Amino acid sequence: MMDVGRHPRINLQTYSEIDDISGYIGNFHVTVRKKARYVDESECNACGECEKVCPVVAPDEFQEGFSSRKAIYMPFPQAVPSVYILNNDNCLGHNPIACGKCAEVCEKSCIDFDMEDQLVEVDVGAIIVATGMDVYDPTEMDEYGYTRYENVITSMEFERLISAGGPTEGHFMRPTDREVPKRIGFIQCVGSRTKNGRGNPYCSNICCMNTVKDSLLLMDHYPGTEIKVFYIDIRAFGKGFEDLYQRSKQAGVQYIRGVPGEVFEDPKTKNITLTVEDTSSGAIEDHEFDMVVLATGVIPRRDSEIVRKLLSLSRTEDGFFMESHPKLKPVDAPTGGVYFAGCVESPKDVKDSVTQASAAAARSEILLNAGEISVEAITSDLIVDNCTGCGICVRVCPFNAITGGDAKAKIPVEIVEAACKGCGTCAAECNFDAILMKHFEDAQIMAQVDSILDQDPMEKIVVFACNWCSYAGADLAGLSRMQYPSSQRVIRTMCSGRVDSSFILHAFEQGAPIVLVSGCHFADCHYIDANRWTVKRVEKLWDDLEKMGIRPERLQLEWISAAEGQKWTKTMKELEEMRQAVTEEEVEQTKKVLREARLKVEAKKKAKEPKEGAAEQAPAAATA
Amino acid sequence: MEEAPFKCLRCGHEFKAPYDKKIPMERACPKCNSNSVPRMKAAPKRAEA
Amino acid sequence: MADNDLRVGVFVCECGSNIAGSVDCDAVTEYAATLPDVACAVKNKYTCSEPGQQEIKKHIKEHNLNRVVVASCTPRMHEPTFRQCVADAGLNPYLMEMANIREHCSWAHLSDRDGATTKAKDIVKVSVARARLLQPRIESELPVLKDVLVIGGGVAGIQTSLDLADAGYQVHLVEKEASIGGIMAALDKTYPTMDCSI
Repeated sequence: MMDVGRHPRINLQTYSEIDDISGYIGNFHVTVRKKARYVDESECNACGECEKVCPVVAPDEFQEGFSSRKAIYMPFPQAVPSVYILNNDNCLGHNPIACGKCAEVCEKSCIDFDMEDQLVEVDVGAIIVATGMDVYDPTEMDEYGYTRYENVITSMEFERLISAGGPTEGHFMRPTDREVPKRIGFIQCVGSRTKNGRGNPYCSNICCMNTVKDSLLLMDHYPGTEIKVFYIDIRAFGKGFEDLYQRSKQAGVQYIRGVPGEVFEDPKTKNITLTVEDTSSGAIEDHEFDMVVLATGVIPRRDSEIVRKLLSLSRTEDGFFMESHPKLKPVDAPTGGVYFAGCVESPKDVKDSVTQASAAAARSEILLNAGEISVEAITSDLIVDNCTGCGICVRVCPFNAITGGDAKAKIPVEIVEAACKGCGTCAAECNFDAILMKHFEDAQIMAQVDSILDQDPMEKIVVFACNWCSYAGADLAGLSRMQYPSSQRVIRTMCSGRVDSSFILHAFEQGAPIVLVSGCHFADCHYIDANRWTVKRVEKLWDDLEKMGIRPERLQLEWISAAEGQKWTKTMKELEEMRQAVTEEEVEQTKKVLREARLKVEAKKKAKEPKEGAAEQAPAAATA
Repeated sequence: MEEAPFKCLRCGHEFKAPYDKKIPMERACPKCNSNSVPRMKAAPKRAEA
Repeated sequence: MADNDLRVGVFVCECGSNIAGSVDCDAVTEYAATLPDVACAVKNKYTCSEPGQQEIKKHIKEHNLNRVVVASCTPRMHEPTFRQCVADAGLNPYLMEMANIREHCSWAHLSDRDGATTKAKDIVKVSVARARLLQPRIESELPVLKDVLVIGGGVAGIQTSLDLADAGYQVHLVEKEASIGGIMAALDKTYPTMDCSI
């Protein structure tokens, strides 16, 4: 930690949050909000005089509330930077009548009650997300009495009570009478591996070994303590872990297979009794303890949603951030130039966090060291001759990559290629075929639709899937060997925003019984909000289809994330049932209606064209 | 926010959900979880055909 | 280039038994050979392997191919691999198209060999139809900034910051709390070595 504080190439911004991130791989622009700490970081020399005179007493968060701190305080003795902070919620205020004592005694005048949040801008090539985890709060598991019985504590509270730097200076004692507990019970898997909707279904990875460690610490400090550990399985899989587990057993720690249903406190002695079925012997036994420690699990960080949204990341079903590939790219985020380190990706112990952190450093160095990156040639191109300057593309572009355009003056729009991310929403919305999406051209996609439907169209479901979420969700379904009927044919686009209404109508005209448009959930759209236009388009088509006497049910819409292989599978099964219900007569009728409607529109266009041509020539003649 | 009637195009379930024309929202059928849920218009215009 | 000059090469991957287990790859390859503008259709055990890629390069030269369809896994996995492969053989990388007959086909229909084979043929057919219309594209190069942002100053953020800073990069480490250290700083001792956490 100290090394970070003094490293010449680390710009440490504590008490700061990420306000905004824009840009893309290699070129991110980040706005950091440096929150007011009311103490001048560069001046404070941690003399501690301010703390002595502060009259406010507040619970010390670092000590899990077991002791108190002042309104102006050092987060913990070894804090980096070694600088005081003033908690504005606790502080009585700078009005000298109210208080202001700390400012009076600060010789260097570091305390500034009027300090405001500062916005700091940085430009970076890569981003490492190491936002960590939170500890499971066992309040909802009321049967363990965490909120009712003082002598039931969590494993995090245990850490502070046994730490030499803790509130008791390492003298382990139970909260009710400050006596050293002689009998201690550990309950494992609190909030982990649950199936009843409370807690989480996954294994938190660290709690078994943490309890083994805790038991050894206790046996070391207080030999002869009676320790019982109640567990489902002891998972001691890492290097040196089994050895530690065996040492704990040899030291006399009893491991009992079975997790108690409920715990009770003796109101007089404040001792805790729990009833448990030892599943290896089948015996139901009562155990009395002076203190019970809940080995609480690990959960995704509660405030990680901000970063997730700013970087368009997804979560796996457990709520942790999803990596690019579970085996082959476990450190890379699906968003280019973003990497994961530590518990943000899954629960990890210190060693695994450090390992992934070094991996993230190495992975990002590949990008940083290259110095340049080639951008996929999938951006939009303007077909100037077709552009009327109507400006609909300017309105729908999520990245403001299209500017200008004036329909009256017939000035075409301009596309800034560097800003274009290739979602294709502009091309889908353009009514004049004036935008060409490189590598996802209209003609290419239409050819795919034609090819799908030129044989046995009744047997097939046409599926448009966006690259980042629903296509990836289908990949995950396959990877997980989820089984579904083989009737769908997938057309991949970068974003569901690319799916032009004409693709869908063309598919129906070619005899598709069912068409599905699938994309990312609203919050997950990789092109900010391009999929809002997908919804608008599909909703309009539902209306249009209905007006033409075509069942809107035949056009389906689904948001399927990259983690939702199951939703993909379920959707495919349901659509197959719907497909079988579509009759040949119905499809023939649809084909006829759509063909007639299309011919009508084309005839109208043709009738209009010569007039438009004449109009175009007029101003040209005028300028000439 | 006002509520509007919606109909699921997957299972046929009809339900009410918050609706504001200006605020696009992700919606799912409370019964089958499908996202194919158009808002039901007052009087759906059927084709003459 | 006129349309009648198109020469598409189709490379069907068995992926060991991952694809061949539920898709008749011989039938798919034979079928591919009958598709319009297909100049050659070849089956490989592992197309992504070095010999598999050599096979593609060899056929590009031999048949003077100007479009390539690789029928294997998801493009989300190996598109960069095969783009590089065809580029090595002198073909513009955007003239390569992948047909996903593994994640979207063989793995999803393990016990339906007929259905999976029919679907795989169709996927290849659609990919060939698309490949015929692919255009060569040039990628633009963008500079990469040398600074790096690390969000979170727990043990992982600290380690990654130190590694990057030691390697010579300017690191901006942003921590929400008043001190770095995160959860690790609140731990007394850490396993398996039972040493102090700070």
